[in-house]
Amino acid sequence: MRSRRLAPAPQGPREDVILFTVCGFRFAIAANAVSEIRGLEGLQRFSLGTSYLRSAQVDFTLERNGTIYFVVDAAQHFRLPPSKPARLLILQHTTAAIQVDSTDRMMEISVLHALPQAFTGDERNWYRGLAVMNDDVVPVVNQHAFVSKAEMAILKTAVQRSQGAAAG
Amino acid sequence: MSTIGEKSFVIFPLGTRRFAFPADDVTELAKPDHLQVFPHRTAMLAGVLVRRGRIIPVLDVAQVLVGPKAPPRKFYLIVNRQCGLRQERTAIPVSGECELTTAELHVSSGTTSRYVTGFLSLSNEVIEVVALEKLVGEEASA
Repeated sequence: MRSRRLAPAPQGPREDVILFTVCGFRFAIAANAVSEIRGLEGLQRFSLGTSYLRSAQVDFTLERNGTIYFVVDAAQHFRLPPSKPARLLILQHTTAAIQVDSTDRMMEISVLHALPQAFTGDERNWYRGLAVMNDDVVPVVNQHAFVSKAEMAILKTAVQRSQGAAAG
Repeated sequence: MSTIGEKSFVIFPLGTRRFAFPADDVTELAKPDHLQVFPHRTAMLAGVLVRRGRIIPVLDVAQVLVGPKAPPRKFYLIVNRQCGLRQERTAIPVSGECELTTAELHVSSGTTSRYVTGFLSLSNEVIEVVALEKLVGEEASA
């Protein structure tokens, strides 16, 4: 009789994620999408009063090393009730930051499950997929969905205009 | 109304009413499981289950089929659902045990909801046969 050896389970590329909480829901974000986790000190109220800017859910900005970051309220982004944000995730490769209630820990995931096709709403853009951590399903957020390129262009233009007006 | 011969169906209860899916679409009846929820914007989706390492969306059709007075759901009927080009398993919460039966399908005459493809006439009971895809499509466009 020939012996059969069990093949090792296929393993996808591993990825480090940071867990964070908003309104009691747990989310994950790719660790390499975040450049800094910090408190809310230094936020400046951002209100230009135009309706199209409200769609970006940006109520604050943060000036850091001479760059202005647009702060997105994660509860608003996910259409959740107002929460009590206490932490800020500053994103890499963009000038956006996310206000979240708390950050938990960093974990490694080996499988990113595709969002089931039954999900057809905004969540298809919000999430890159789902991770299972100790039998708990945690959505892995799409960091590019918090502020779209078009929204970012509008926000930057608005800030430049307001800075120009202040200087003039 | 016409009939199209005998076929197998899974009859499921939602409170005092019973409905049916074609048996070919049903893969299993599952015990209550840990429903996991996260923010989303899709109508009728209650959350997901993890079963045997797979993530299965839970579609709560009771609100559409029996209205807001839907009773507590006790089991999950796992059905194969066509999602675009792919088939995907979906869990449907039901309020009691299900029954496999073979019966003649009476094709709907068009006076009922579009998601009702026909009726089963069983002793004193008429049971609507539900086309899940049409029900979801109707709700999404509502």
